[in-house]
Amino acid sequence: MMAYTYALILFFTIIICFIASFDKRIQFNLQFGSFLKAAILVAVPFIAWDIWFTAHGVWWFNTDYTLGISFFGLPLEEILFFICIPFSCIFTYYTIDKYYKWEVLSAFNNLLVFVSIIILSVVGLLHTDKIYTLITTIVTILTLIYLHFIAKVDWLTKASLVFMLLMLGFFPVNGVLTGSFIENPIVNYNPKDFLGIRMFTIPIEDAVYGYSQFLLVLYFFKKLSKAK
Amino acid sequence: MKVLLVILVFILMEGATWLIHKYIMHGFLWFLHKDHHDHSNKGELEKNDWFFVIFALPTIALMYFGSLENFNYLFFIGLGIMLYGMAYFFVHDIFIHQRIKFFTHTKNAYFLALRRAHKQHHKHLGKEEGECFGFLYVPLKYFRMYFKSAKS
Repeated sequence: MMAYTYALILFFTIIICFIASFDKRIQFNLQFGSFLKAAILVAVPFIAWDIWFTAHGVWWFNTDYTLGISFFGLPLEEILFFICIPFSCIFTYYTIDKYYKWEVLSAFNNLLVFVSIIILSVVGLLHTDKIYTLITTIVTILTLIYLHFIAKVDWLTKASLVFMLLMLGFFPVNGVLTGSFIENPIVNYNPKDFLGIRMFTIPIEDAVYGYSQFLLVLYFFKKLSKAK
Repeated sequence: MKVLLVILVFILMEGATWLIHKYIMHGFLWFLHKDHHDHSNKGELEKNDWFFVIFALPTIALMYFGSLENFNYLFFIGLGIMLYGMAYFFVHDIFIHQRIKFFTHTKNAYFLALRRAHKQHHKHLGKEEGECFGFLYVPLKYFRMYFKSAKS
């Protein structure tokens, strides 16, 4: 039963959103194709990053909790993570976006990007010796610069608020993965490679990592679903 | 002491912004600031927004070197600049240019004076002539205009 733990986490992450996708008022099922393409597009570099970090022992997986199938050192579940987690995130954004336009929020984009880039840059510069912290800050800074100044999207503040809401799901899911409620963590982190600041059991880098992943999938999802 | 330093930097930044705006943005970097005046860059973010990178870089450097020295005065100078930048975006994006309609019907004399002065600044579409280069502090006559009417 223990071997199904990671798979069950993924199952419970998507199941409610998956069923709700077929609701007539939401009809996210019509967007499955666009979502899948966007998620895979972003998953490729993120999985490469994951393989790299696993190979270097930045983090490792407790295989007691996985089915035992692995690719390039990653359990199958870890690969599916990059589809399942964004699925529920994009579903949530899509549903909220359908009913609440909140256009006024775009006025805060400059403020948000300004403060985020300053904080991330200072933290990154101060911790160049901690590879998880460093890569996470660099990726997030580049994501924000690209989306704000080059792609010029107007939804950054709105997406950030939705991400805060998604924390309600992030805490239980990532909590179990990092060892809350179970005997040993499924994902273990090398203490030398991250700040060591944990929210309950979750390294703070995980939240920032999830944030840039969410923004990027959302960006491609919006592009692809519009193009359709 | 640190709080005072942050406040002092915040105030000095208004002066620095005035100087930068008047002599640099309306000077040799006019090509970046032009679209903010004539809206030649319709519908998109303005090139002018790049100025925030110019404000962010010194802030990052100061906060970084300040943190290395156990959060000495450099860090708090950086913090003052960051807070000024935040106030700038708040007032400029949200209130003055009405990117959102939050304060459209405000009766606050300070905000009305700021908006009036900023409008005066935007009356001039060219680089050379111009007035009211400040952001959070504008010439007294604009304050008088609204504080008087607020009293009567």
